[in-house]
Amino acid sequence: MRVGIPRALLFHHYGECWLEFLETLGIEPVITEDTSGETITVGATRADNETCLPVKVFSGHLLQLKDRVDAVLVPRVVRQEPGKCACPKFMGLPDLARSLDPELPPILSPRMDLGDRRSLWAREWYGVARALGGRRTSSAVAVARLLRALSPLEEPPPARPRHSDVVIGVAGHLYNVFDGRVSLDMLERIRRLGAEPVTLDQVPLEHARRHADTLSRKIFWGFESRLAGTVLHWSRTASVSGILFVTSFACGPGSIVGALLEDQLEREGSVPLMTVTLDEHSAEAGLVTRLEAFTDMLRHRSRTTADVTKGSDPFVTSAVHPGGSG
Amino acid sequence: MRIAVPRMGNLPLIVEDLARRFDLDYIETPPFNLQTVELGAALAPEFACLPLKAVLGSFVQVLDLGADTLVMGGGHGPCRFGFYGEVQKRILDRMGREFRMIILDPPSASLSVFFHGIREVIPRQRVGGAAVLRELSAAMAKAIVFDEMEKWALACRGLAREAGSVDAALDESRRLLAPAMSRREVRKARREILEVFDAVAVERERPHLSVGLVGEIFVVLEPYFNFEVDTWLGRRGAVVERSCCISDTIYPGGRNPVFGHSDRRVARAAAPFLTHEVGGDGLLTVGAAVLFARRGFDAVVHLLPFTCMPEVIAKGVLSRVSSEMDMPVLSLSIDEQTGRAGVQTRLEALLDLAWSNRAGTQSESFSEDFTPRPSILTRGSGGVTREGL
Repeated sequence: MRVGIPRALLFHHYGECWLEFLETLGIEPVITEDTSGETITVGATRADNETCLPVKVFSGHLLQLKDRVDAVLVPRVVRQEPGKCACPKFMGLPDLARSLDPELPPILSPRMDLGDRRSLWAREWYGVARALGGRRTSSAVAVARLLRALSPLEEPPPARPRHSDVVIGVAGHLYNVFDGRVSLDMLERIRRLGAEPVTLDQVPLEHARRHADTLSRKIFWGFESRLAGTVLHWSRTASVSGILFVTSFACGPGSIVGALLEDQLEREGSVPLMTVTLDEHSAEAGLVTRLEAFTDMLRHRSRTTADVTKGSDPFVTSAVHPGGSG
Repeated sequence: MRIAVPRMGNLPLIVEDLARRFDLDYIETPPFNLQTVELGAALAPEFACLPLKAVLGSFVQVLDLGADTLVMGGGHGPCRFGFYGEVQKRILDRMGREFRMIILDPPSASLSVFFHGIREVIPRQRVGGAAVLRELSAAMAKAIVFDEMEKWALACRGLAREAGSVDAALDESRRLLAPAMSRREVRKARREILEVFDAVAVERERPHLSVGLVGEIFVVLEPYFNFEVDTWLGRRGAVVERSCCISDTIYPGGRNPVFGHSDRRVARAAAPFLTHEVGGDGLLTVGAAVLFARRGFDAVVHLLPFTCMPEVIAKGVLSRVSSEMDMPVLSLSIDEQTGRAGVQTRLEALLDLAWSNRAGTQSESFSEDFTPRPSILTRGSGGVTREGL
């Protein structure tokens, strides 16, 4: 029995747990390779043309598994946090996957609802484990291991020491930022420019939650709420020199949260913010030029503010705000 | 306090009725036009969907006309609609407009929040709690009749003996219903409206196509954005039925009195294709398309705003519904650039395809001629006999 998992979307969040689940059952998981140009091309041609880039990438990965496995695991993630909901695409992902190609192997879609009582959705995973041929005990153990593997994800990660004077907060979906091909190696490029990127997962959830609660209307998407809270945390504590908001073309929550953050940060007088929109046609040169300009601007800015206002808060005098998608 | 509410289908009629009941100073939002859309598109975030842009543009226009309080619907996700109000408020505020924005969250989120919202619009000092409930219930009954008569009009426009007789009946019905205030008066008006529609001469035996209209409520209901597909199809001799309307959406308990299938039934119909709620009207779109297919409809037109999240999922799933239930489905995504001619050409192709299916032409070459390219039709069903009529 070979069960495939596409290396896309929420695999970047929960992949460890899913693998733990399959391995406990003694099933050999088949994970697709890192995204390549071809994955994106296949996904973009086969998936619906209006879906967002990550879903196209997911489709590309899924189609790679077509003849290689007996079943594909596409969990239906309904909520990533209590009281919030996930992007509609995650809720409909298994159904979207089934419609993609009639010849795909069966798609296993146990529900994963981190806002609901675990006993309710864990039962579906137990059912999947049994269907995969697990015995009662080993299925129960697999589910228990899955739940246990989930817990550390919610713990705040340890803070890391900073190596550079220019720290750039990269705010974007983990499946975009951590996918080298989709983000065009954004993190590595930032490092090569002598700056240090920090990502969302390096900021404790409680900081994000506290700052997200200060917004005038609660953001109902779990991940976007965390993203907005983290950006506000970075900006208000001035723990980064600049923020890079990474979104993908046709990202629904991104279009709203991006507009909201641009407005909120401009009202508060924040650190500079740059928006980068990724799509399947994104070219390296365009990104490199903009990253260079952004880091140069941040470096220049930290030097001038340090000269002019020594001792006082340099971020109050912030006038540079590229905002927009400029 | 001069209140303005966004436009959508019958909403201006319903809001006018509410304003009369609660004696509110209400100003009607001007109908959508090119300028509204351009204004909205220039101000709104680039990737926001069409309803946000259109409503934002009309808010600017209605503020110019002297409104000072904007009432907007809310929600708790996962559809972006729940955040429209907040984004629009911030954009208008940044433009330096003076106004108050009241975001009415639906009762499904929290009943107390809902009533708090209502109380912001209708002050406690003027109308008591019991009166509010009584009037809202009567207004609900009236809203249902407003939607029902549109449903009847769509059902008989394609078969009417005289062109324009259905539109005249619809106008007459609206005139009859407008003054009704109590539930009893609404019931009486409904009986009279039924008589008006009975008087319209229809040719039931005329061969015709049945077309279902599903999709996102704003583009399905707002004639400016769907280029009046429903009446256009009617004039081409098709019997049309819509999946969504305003009263079904706000009716408590998900009974959908106008569409006639409860949310549970819709979810059960959609289950083989889409097993989970995806926000907005996504599940309803899929469920209604399946129900239409089961009832032997010849085609389904799916309208969605460009990049609408729930409807994009529905669009992907509908391609499977179309091939498995053997019914052509045409998905039209609509944004500020969509042109009337493009929409009508595709609809004509869809009608031709449906007629050729109906004719039962099994000749391979003929059905291939009528199977449009996949980019236009989500998926055509090729040359299959369909019984009936």
